[in-house]
Amino acid sequence: MVESSTEIMVDVNNLNVIFDKNHIIHDVSFKVKKGEIIGLFGISGAGKTTIIRVLTCQIEKKNWSGNVTVTNFSPDKKQNHPLILHNIGYVPQLELLNLYYELSPLANVEVFSSTYGLDTKEAKKIAQELFKILDIPSDTWNKRVKHMSGGEKKRLSMAIGLIHKPSVLFLDEPTTGVDASKRYSILSYLKKLNQKLDTTMFIITHDLEAALICDKTAILREGRMLEFDSPQNLINSLPSNGLVARFEINDLNEAKITRISEFSPVKKVLRVGNEVVEILMESFEENLPKLIQYMIERGVTVNSMSRDSASFRRFFQIRIQEEEEREKLKKNIGEA
Amino acid sequence: MRKNVRSDKKINMVKFQRSLFRIIRQMKKEFLLLLTDKFNMLLAIVVPPLVIFLFGFMMNSIPEGIHPVDCVVISYDSNVYIDEGTFNESLRDDFTLPYVNAANKSEYLNLIHFYNATEEIYAMESARMMLLASDIKVIISLPVGFSEFITLGLPGLIDCIPDASDIKTIQDNLNAVFDSVKTFVNDNNLTPQFQLTGYEEFTIPEGYSFRFNYNITLTLSFIVFGVSMVLTILVVVQEKPVARLLLTPAKRSEILISKYLTYTLILIIQVILLIISTLVCRLYLAGSILDLFIALFTIGFTGLSMGIFISTQSKTKTEANQLFFAVFIVILLLSGIFIPIDAMPIYLQVIAYILPLSHGDPMIRGIVTKGKSVFGFDFFALLILSIILVLISFIIFKRRKYEV
Ligand SMILES: Nc1ncnc2c1ncn2[C@@H]1O[C@H](COP(=O)(O)OP(=O)(O)OP(=O)(O)O)[C@@H](O)[C@H]1O
Ligand SMILES: [Mg+2]
Repeated sequence: MVESSTEIMVDVNNLNVIFDKNHIIHDVSFKVKKGEIIGLFGISGAGKTTIIRVLTCQIEKKNWSGNVTVTNFSPDKKQNHPLILHNIGYVPQLELLNLYYELSPLANVEVFSSTYGLDTKEAKKIAQELFKILDIPSDTWNKRVKHMSGGEKKRLSMAIGLIHKPSVLFLDEPTTGVDASKRYSILSYLKKLNQKLDTTMFIITHDLEAALICDKTAILREGRMLEFDSPQNLINSLPSNGLVARFEINDLNEAKITRISEFSPVKKVLRVGNEVVEILMESFEENLPKLIQYMIERGVTVNSMSRDSASFRRFFQIRIQEEEEREKLKKNIGEA
Repeated sequence: MRKNVRSDKKINMVKFQRSLFRIIRQMKKEFLLLLTDKFNMLLAIVVPPLVIFLFGFMMNSIPEGIHPVDCVVISYDSNVYIDEGTFNESLRDDFTLPYVNAANKSEYLNLIHFYNATEEIYAMESARMMLLASDIKVIISLPVGFSEFITLGLPGLIDCIPDASDIKTIQDNLNAVFDSVKTFVNDNNLTPQFQLTGYEEFTIPEGYSFRFNYNITLTLSFIVFGVSMVLTILVVVQEKPVARLLLTPAKRSEILISKYLTYTLILIIQVILLIISTLVCRLYLAGSILDLFIALFTIGFTGLSMGIFISTQSKTKTEANQLFFAVFIVILLLSGIFIPIDAMPIYLQVIAYILPLSHGDPMIRGIVTKGKSVFGFDFFALLILSIILVLISFIIFKRRKYEV
């Protein structure tokens, strides 16, 4: 039991991807254990899809280097590709391009499951179990996919990705284009499947809420991995374990923000609304009263105040901002 | 009331103007979309005049004038002749050679071979084989007593056996033989009348529709080729989920093979139904049904592989459709329907023989009207063409870009 829980499903060491002289991924390394849900976060163009494409045998070896194994097989050898593809599932971003719309859900299941050598009966049995977990109404099972709702299609696509009980499931933007309420339900379905089937999941997403279900989150920026840890650990690495003070301030402006930043325990001032700032500081409990006093003395009028723990969203913002500032600095030094 | 009508009119006018405005804007969008696909534009605007040029060029480059008819002459002349005065026996064939010379001289005939039937007893069989193989169009046979009749001043007799499987050419062939007879008469200062007798080879027996039999061969090869091609033209381009299939252990070759096999099965059914329906419509089939089946299957398979080939190499549905149209027109023009292939300039002949439909009609016609075997030049040409198309389609499909 203990052994299996530490089994490494995906191992990436010093991955570099270069497309005709464009260095897309720089020295990315991480390990994923069995049963973990990994969230791969990063703004557009960061290289999320590219990493997944390496792991799923979609990029030729000549374009990448590094030691990579997926379910203990390396995608650098062509003969390993069928073995890896047998062990993984892939839920692509767009259903329109990745389901047979003119066929029924069960016929789709048959098409995809047969490629793994599953016989039809067995596949349909598994599919029906998955459909039930995913709440795909049974009256749609034999109708054409094109008549299903968007959310149903998405869940069908997930079921198909899981039909052969893969060890690792890759999901590209599973919540993009789904409305807010459904987003949460998709995330909870994923968690449910993860727990029932012990499937390792790899989720590419812009949706920072997805971190809620992730055991580990990876933050990617311009092809470099900035962080790879559990969301809680990342939040805890912030000053005072990520405690934030939220202030509503009259006539908030840049000058006032600068003034607040000048208070030495303050590590970060984030403007999160028109008149709202969030403040991170060292020794939160001790310094909060002092900060309020400081603000009153400097003529910064506080309307209301609340305290909170930073969300992953906040952490992500801070981390990306930090990186941008560091880069600017580097550039300035370089110019000077 | 009146005022209302007027303001209604005004409102309608405004509505109309707005609608017009929107239509014009939409048209602009359509043009922009059209322009994004350069290949499409090319096909829509450049290909039609190109087709006309090709057609005009073909028609104009056909040498005007005579296209000699391939023939053989068989002589049964040279019978025993007894001189009435002297009762001497002698062999008489004084006019065989002059006729052969006349046939040779005639620009309407192309004398391939001359048989003397008294020496070559299988002359007629050999000549029939040539007729069967379409190496010649007509057998000219000089009967026993040919020279004797002429010497005696009786009307000369010549037997003509034209290939009747192609009704359009029978009259031309007979006219060509007449021309040789005219030359023969003039050159030898003969007075007698000449009579062409004989029968048509490969005609259709009583009770069968000549017109149906004659036209069906062409129609069959067109239908089977066209339908297979149309059926497969989108089979690769429109299947987007292949990208996802490729993220399973499925192999590209397996995906394409399964397409070929499926459409081959459909083709088999289609060919069987075609044969049944033509037989029901009283097709006179000189050859065997199996030969006809193999022939139609081969033509259909060429269409199928051409369709899949176009599909694998097109990026969009429209591109595939357009390409289909362009290819089909060229195939049609060079199929030998409009212009007999051997009347085309040599480079067009080369292209025509590479294209499939130039082989379809002769192959089917040979089986249906002459009872030929399917395994001839046309069959192997189609076979090689389709094998090449299959190979190329696999190579292209291997490299086709798929992204989930
Ligand atoms: N085949 C390729 N050739 C050249 N450049 C490429 C190729 N594939 C990706 N890139 C570049 O690599 C960078 C990362 O792309 P990638 O698709 O991995 O980003 P992403 O993080 O998935 O973005 P998004 O969130 O928008 O999907 C982009 O700048 C892209 O232009
Ligand atoms: Mg992406």
